Amino acid sequence: MTETFYEVMRRQGITRRSFLKYCSLTASALGLGPAFAPTIAEAMETKPRIPVLWLHGLECTCCSESFIRSAHPLAKDVVLSMISLDYDDTIMAAAGHEAEAIIEEIIEKYDGNYILAVEGNPPLDEDGMYCIIGGKPFVEQLKKAAEHCKAIISWGSCASWGCVQAARPNPTRATPVHKVPGLADKPIIKVPGCPPIAEVMTAVITYILTFDRFPQLDRQGRPLMFYSQRIHDKCYRRPHFDAGQFVEQWDDEAARKGYCLYKMGCKGPTTYNACSTVRWNGGLSFPIQAGHGCIGCSEDGFWDKGSFYDRVTDTHQFGIEANADDVGLAAAGTVGAAAAAHLAVTAIKQAQNKGEQDQ
Amino acid sequence: MQREINSGAVYVYEAPVRIWHWANALSITLLAITGYLVANPLPSLSGEASDHFLMGYIRFVHFAAAYIFAVGFLGRIYWAMVGNEHSRQLFKLPVHRLTFWRELLHEVRWYAFLEKEPKKYVGHNPLAHLFMVVIITVGGFCMLLTGFSLYAEQTGLGSWQDSLFGWLIPLVGQSQDVRLWHHWGMWVIVVFVMLHVYVAIREDIVSRQSIISTMISGWRTFKDDRP
Amino acid sequence: MSVQQTPNGFSLDDSGQRVVVDPVTRIEGHMRCEVNVDENNIIRNAVSTGTMWRGLEVILRGRDPRDAWAFTQRICGVCTGTHALTSVRAVEDALNIQIPENANSIRNIMQLALQAHDHLVHFYHLHALDWVNPVNALKADPKATSELQQKVSPHHPLSSPGYFRDIQNRLKKFVESGQLGPFKNGYWTNPAYLLPPEADLMAVTHYLEALDFQKEISKIRAIFGGKDPHPNWLVGGVPCAINLDGVGSVGGLNMVNLNQVSAIIDQVRDFVNHVYVPDLLAIAGFYKGWTYGGGLASMNVLSYGDIPDRANDYSTENLMMPRGAIINGNLKQVHEVDLRDPEEIQEFVPHSWYKYPDESKGLHPWDGITEADFQLGAKTKGTKTDIREIDESAKYSWIKAPRWRGHAMEVGPLSRYIIGYAKGDKEITEQINFVLKTLDLPVTALFSTLGRTAARGLEAQWAADKMRYFMDKMMANIKAGDSSTANVESWDPETWPAETKGVGFTEAPRGALGHWIRIKDTRIANYQCVVPTTWNGSPRDQQGNIGAFEASLMNTKVERAEEPVEILRTLHSFDPCLACSTHVMSEDGQELAKVKVR
Repeated sequence: MTETFYEVMRRQGITRRSFLKYCSLTASALGLGPAFAPTIAEAMETKPRIPVLWLHGLECTCCSESFIRSAHPLAKDVVLSMISLDYDDTIMAAAGHEAEAIIEEIIEKYDGNYILAVEGNPPLDEDGMYCIIGGKPFVEQLKKAAEHCKAIISWGSCASWGCVQAARPNPTRATPVHKVPGLADKPIIKVPGCPPIAEVMTAVITYILTFDRFPQLDRQGRPLMFYSQRIHDKCYRRPHFDAGQFVEQWDDEAARKGYCLYKMGCKGPTTYNACSTVRWNGGLSFPIQAGHGCIGCSEDGFWDKGSFYDRVTDTHQFGIEANADDVGLAAAGTVGAAAAAHLAVTAIKQAQNKGEQDQ
Repeated sequence: MQREINSGAVYVYEAPVRIWHWANALSITLLAITGYLVANPLPSLSGEASDHFLMGYIRFVHFAAAYIFAVGFLGRIYWAMVGNEHSRQLFKLPVHRLTFWRELLHEVRWYAFLEKEPKKYVGHNPLAHLFMVVIITVGGFCMLLTGFSLYAEQTGLGSWQDSLFGWLIPLVGQSQDVRLWHHWGMWVIVVFVMLHVYVAIREDIVSRQSIISTMISGWRTFKDDRP
Repeated sequence: MSVQQTPNGFSLDDSGQRVVVDPVTRIEGHMRCEVNVDENNIIRNAVSTGTMWRGLEVILRGRDPRDAWAFTQRICGVCTGTHALTSVRAVEDALNIQIPENANSIRNIMQLALQAHDHLVHFYHLHALDWVNPVNALKADPKATSELQQKVSPHHPLSSPGYFRDIQNRLKKFVESGQLGPFKNGYWTNPAYLLPPEADLMAVTHYLEALDFQKEISKIRAIFGGKDPHPNWLVGGVPCAINLDGVGSVGGLNMVNLNQVSAIIDQVRDFVNHVYVPDLLAIAGFYKGWTYGGGLASMNVLSYGDIPDRANDYSTENLMMPRGAIINGNLKQVHEVDLRDPEEIQEFVPHSWYKYPDESKGLHPWDGITEADFQLGAKTKGTKTDIREIDESAKYSWIKAPRWRGHAMEVGPLSRYIIGYAKGDKEITEQINFVLKTLDLPVTALFSTLGRTAARGLEAQWAADKMRYFMDKMMANIKAGDSSTANVESWDPETWPAETKGVGFTEAPRGALGHWIRIKDTRIANYQCVVPTTWNGSPRDQQGNIGAFEASLMNTKVERAEEPVEILRTLHSFDPCLACSTHVMSEDGQELAKVKVR
């Protein structure tokens, strides 16, 4: 009675005919020849829902909250019909030992065949005891689950980059998943954002299930389909940017007309995400549409790139915080003044020399 | 470095070098002005967005000037290979030679009014040589790298700009970091240009050799016969 | 120890069997709970441990105060936005910024939408499985379920026998697959589950309906804040400019958006009135005999109050959600609460993994200091990285122990409702009386796990109604010609005083939330949060007073010691949020201490 991949694909609107075609293509892609297509079809038709262990480290649970807001597909359909969400401390019925036993059981039953989804990240200082699960450091649970998984999905900016707890000075040494020392070498799909868009999260999962492969990733391990362009590239306020029409102050005429928020510190031009196309909460809105600039929440270390309201943000280097424009103007001014002074001295010296020569 | 030079003229800067210099001067000026305006846009315009393309033009000028700068940079490298020996000066710095440092110190003392007169050079004096290599060659290269990696953000993944320069962004951190370093680079170059222009004019008047006219005619002339 | 009397009236006995629950699931963040049960399976000692710490306030130091809302918002993604609102209020208090009326209405609507959303999700998706057995729902008769549905909520349209049969079939298929997903390893054979199959099927059906519906509520905040979770806020107002009929009105908050918000508010009212509250009453009807979990509720409760009717007036009279403190169960006297008074709110650390120069004294948040100090007591069983039983006589939690005039307090919907009831708030009293009458219970029944769960549902109802109030208020204000949404007079840091401090507060879904900020030379010099779960999840203090979680577990009978469903019931009734509670306050330059296992 298991709902299988085949049924999942049918739910996704894929016909029996395309399903069989997909199976024969898979067969030839694997070098097995067309004779194997029925075998693959049978496997697909009887394969169980893929188990998912969804672990939580240092986090705020916004990724889970975002996930349940998915409109297409609905979160309930993902959980009931597409995956088998066997461990997720935020929603699971079991607690304590019974909860931890599930991890053991899944590892044993599905070694190498389950997906590890990670929300949040492990702290490494204090032997990892800034985040304790079952009396032990979270990082141990993470490493163990990673050892036997098929692939890892790093949900959100915590798992992908470190996010807020890893912001300067990172008091607990919170570390993103791919940088955890001693973590098993598994494919990692980063789905950054604080949180990621709900439909982006469910799309990544359904893509993997429907096409039985991982999405194409960019240099930094993010799915190309959502993270290959900047908010700015597809922003509906882009014409105002190109025209030179900007909001200069909150709630000014330009703000009411929906001009570009670049001068208010919008990080759309430096942020790779699908907010301006997929939008949020069922395609309803996104930060810029609601009048606030993008804060760049899907970018690595966005907390430490200066104020959310500056365009030319402060630079932190070697423990010093400085603004390029302030320093640059000051330097240019100093050099200009120094040159003028130097010129004056030169002129005096020249006059003296000339005087000496004349004498 | 220093040679026995008498009065008379030496052909130093061949035509391609001179053209490159002035093309560079123009493109850097445009790049700095438009770059500053991209980071700090002009006051907002009103009316229909379709009536204006101010930011678009500013960015277009920036990119066009950047291409001129980039092509010039490549052409200059080529000329360093086929041109005269002075054309190679920008690409090698004799840091291993004691005389270079001694003469550099002399040049610094000259600017600090501690030496009565400067030495004579056919090419760049050691101080100018150092600045040229660090700011124009190395600095220009850094600006090209950061600039093209940012440009690749709009040409998109898979474009040649992205293939050649896209790796830089994750290496540095993220897009905003690269933008900021590019912006810092602009200020370094602005300060250098101010110094360069001031010193060129000053040296043209008080030193013992021609400066500005050399970059126009290519010939270095000297004002006296002493070594 | 063996038997010990706490000053706040509890008798702790740790001689019986120790039961450890770690992780406590279906909460936000990470938490551990240990109890001792006697030979009759009655809890005689309770220990709650916050098991995560992120150090957000250390991270906030030196930052632009206008950015602080975004950082503090990431304290919690479940009660998303309430920290941000508290933060912008703290900064506005410090800089004496007055926000426009529309901004106040929009902020209130966003906060009330959070209350409704959070309470709904908590009831169905974090709490229901403590009372509802999805496996038992397979035995239900869909026709009888349909009749039950029509009886408890005649106005809910989804009630046909066919509808319940479809849901049951889907559930059946799910269970028979052997892949139980989130329901795996639940305590489905435990006799503590008392619902008949039809009630279980109805509740599971609404679990799924609520999962679909909650995403609609979040759209309200997406319209005003651009996205949800974690919408955008602004010091001085709200970022969404209003432009109803001018040039380019589609660029601002326009008529379409306001209609959307208005429609969703009506849907929320319908769902809460026709699904949430009826379910609550139906389920509570079967558990009337389960009277455990009162804890501190009958003694000490606290609320800062929230939802200012007029903008910028945070006085008790102007707050629609009641403010006050009740001590020793004296409902006749509701004390005033002052967040600025150094004698009122203080935090203690003798049993928390932090270090004070003098741990016998508490510190007001404006003067708070913290140094992480992870150490385990001598009686700990296990090792530093494998704790089997914790030693509560030493430090044992990442949560501090906040006290109001020295008292451990309970905060949250139940506290607000008790205070509102004690003050004679008309709407709250009516709601409470309705519930008590329907279930035929005395008012003392409020002081329980079920009371806590019921208050949350009533508050969702209240919040939905108040959203409508503020929506209408905003429309009237716009009609009167005021469409401003932000005050930018003090936006530029150059206008700020060299040194200033402020406090902001809200009533988060889980209870009283305060942020204290000090600003020096336009940067944050010190930032401190005392959050609801710090109050409720508090460990013992220097006098040995136990916190609200611990108190509420005392004297509960558990059916099976190895299946902690009763513990989960009561802990969940607080809706714990551990990422919120475990934070740090620190003065400049203090380094974080290294571990010592004594």
